[in-house]
Amino acid sequence: MDLTYSLGLVIPELVLTLSGLVLLLVAAWGGNEASKPVSIAACVALGGAFFLTAPAVCAGASGPDTVAFFGQLRIDAWAGLAKLMIYAAAGAALVVAPAYFDRLKAMRPEFAILVLFAALGMSIMVSAADLLALYIGLELNSLAAYVLAAYLRDDDKSAEAGLKYFVLGALASGILLFGMSLLYGFTGTTSFSGINVAIADGLSGGQLFGLIFVLAGMAFKISAVPFHMWTPDVYEGAPTPVTAFFASAPKVAAIALLARLSLEAFGTQATAWQQIVGFAAIASIVVGALGAIGQQNIKRLLAFSSINNVGFILIGLATATLAGASAMMIYLAFYVAMTVGSFVALLMLKDADGNQLETFGDIKGLSTTQPALAWCLLLIMFSLAGIPPLMGFYGKLVIFRAAVEADLIALAAIGIAASVIGAFYYLKFIKVMFFDEPVDAVKGKSDWAHWALLVIATLVISPIAFLGTEWLGGLAEAAAAALATAG
Amino acid sequence: MVDLTQYLPILLFLGVAVGLSALFVFLPMGVSRLTGAHNPDAEKLSEYECGFPAFEEPRDRFDVRFYLIAILFIVFDLEAAFLFPWAVSLDLTGWPGWITMMTFLVELLIGLAYVWKKGALDWE
Repeated sequence: MDLTYSLGLVIPELVLTLSGLVLLLVAAWGGNEASKPVSIAACVALGGAFFLTAPAVCAGASGPDTVAFFGQLRIDAWAGLAKLMIYAAAGAALVVAPAYFDRLKAMRPEFAILVLFAALGMSIMVSAADLLALYIGLELNSLAAYVLAAYLRDDDKSAEAGLKYFVLGALASGILLFGMSLLYGFTGTTSFSGINVAIADGLSGGQLFGLIFVLAGMAFKISAVPFHMWTPDVYEGAPTPVTAFFASAPKVAAIALLARLSLEAFGTQATAWQQIVGFAAIASIVVGALGAIGQQNIKRLLAFSSINNVGFILIGLATATLAGASAMMIYLAFYVAMTVGSFVALLMLKDADGNQLETFGDIKGLSTTQPALAWCLLLIMFSLAGIPPLMGFYGKLVIFRAAVEADLIALAAIGIAASVIGAFYYLKFIKVMFFDEPVDAVKGKSDWAHWALLVIATLVISPIAFLGTEWLGGLAEAAAAALATAG
Repeated sequence: MVDLTQYLPILLFLGVAVGLSALFVFLPMGVSRLTGAHNPDAEKLSEYECGFPAFEEPRDRFDVRFYLIAILFIVFDLEAAFLFPWAVSLDLTGWPGWITMMTFLVELLIGLAYVWKKGALDWE
């Protein structure tokens, strides 16, 4: 594969890189007045990358034609499908950000640029077929994310969130690097396929430790239990548009990367990591469900909800089958829609002065004061709880079907039991919004962009979307099949 | 007899998890226990600076400009570290290698232009 061919494969990434660099210069010379044009340009760049990636996903790109840069990257359907979700989620974050930051007089063009570079890092992550490309993508994403978390630097909570995220993220990167160095030392290669061949006859002690440290580092990034401690604090402290971004795009990227790493690099030793992933899945579901019960702050509750959802997705990975991998992609697609929808709805909770409201006390009786918003939230919460006929149920269904087919019946049973616990706090939303005395705290108006995003997200998880499940299932299956052609 | 060795990976994984979280809890406690002043008096608590009476509080804040300069220094220092192996292997990497490094340098230049324009290099 020569260089020109590789460059042709990464055109979406080149679009993001070049627009990011050009916009950086625009931001430097244009000052804060350039915020709006830069945000729009960044949205256009993300949209361009989206439509440049889409053909490969629809065609189910796989095989040796997808290898770029001498095996560093694989631009296949798996990466492509994850990228589509990442670009969409990043675009949504850009759309909701100006209204939030303008009120605080904190809108700067750098926000859009950081999101752009984070999206670039994530698309390198999901394409990575080598430990080095993996690390570069991960750090490009993380460094942008640390700054985004501390974006409101005058706000104590935001600064704390940024610092906490940075320190723990750096620790996770250190653990990951340590594991990678062990893997390289004991297998003699950094490429996923090379590692897979080297460990085919069994894991030596050093290789096992390498695998475990790499998985622990990745568990930090997807905030799976027992490495989830940072999530509630960072999600609560970071500005809400940033939290919406954190809960959607980087989750997709890290989970798609973890799946590729597990199946392509450690595929021949699946039994070694299956139990780890299975444990992390169960622990995440249970901790996410129990931790959310006592929360009064909605952002914090959504953080636990995201831990809970990561657990369900990891059940798909624990099967170590391609059916499980394609189920993960389907679940992720609906997870992104639900997350974006719930955070956009949260952003729309404003009092008459435009201040953000984020506790349960503020949304009492929302159904009488803001019926449209309350009904959208109702559908999203029902979907998160996994109640049919909404799409959150369909996502759980495909995951559990894959688990049962792989004979992980115990895992599926615990997952279902824990999702009943989880239903409690999702239903609490509905109880508070529909049956409590109205407090009439939510008075602020939201612009059409918020409404558009909320309606789109609600439509994606509504029963109408069942018409598209066959199409999405086909895409996810082709994406998972691309993983199998590795090596 | 159950073969317990198959559970080694999960045991190690949990070991790493417990070890890390224990470290977070007990390391700061241990360090403060071992290094903390248990019988403080005025003399012990006063700072020591090469035998002189101290000029100012040791916990004064640093100007953030020092950090900016330090960060910029590290970036360009590392750039130089990349340039050396690139220079000696240019006969192997050829034009693609040259173009790649020039792209890298241009990216760094854009970053430099950004911080310059933003005023990070002005001391006053």
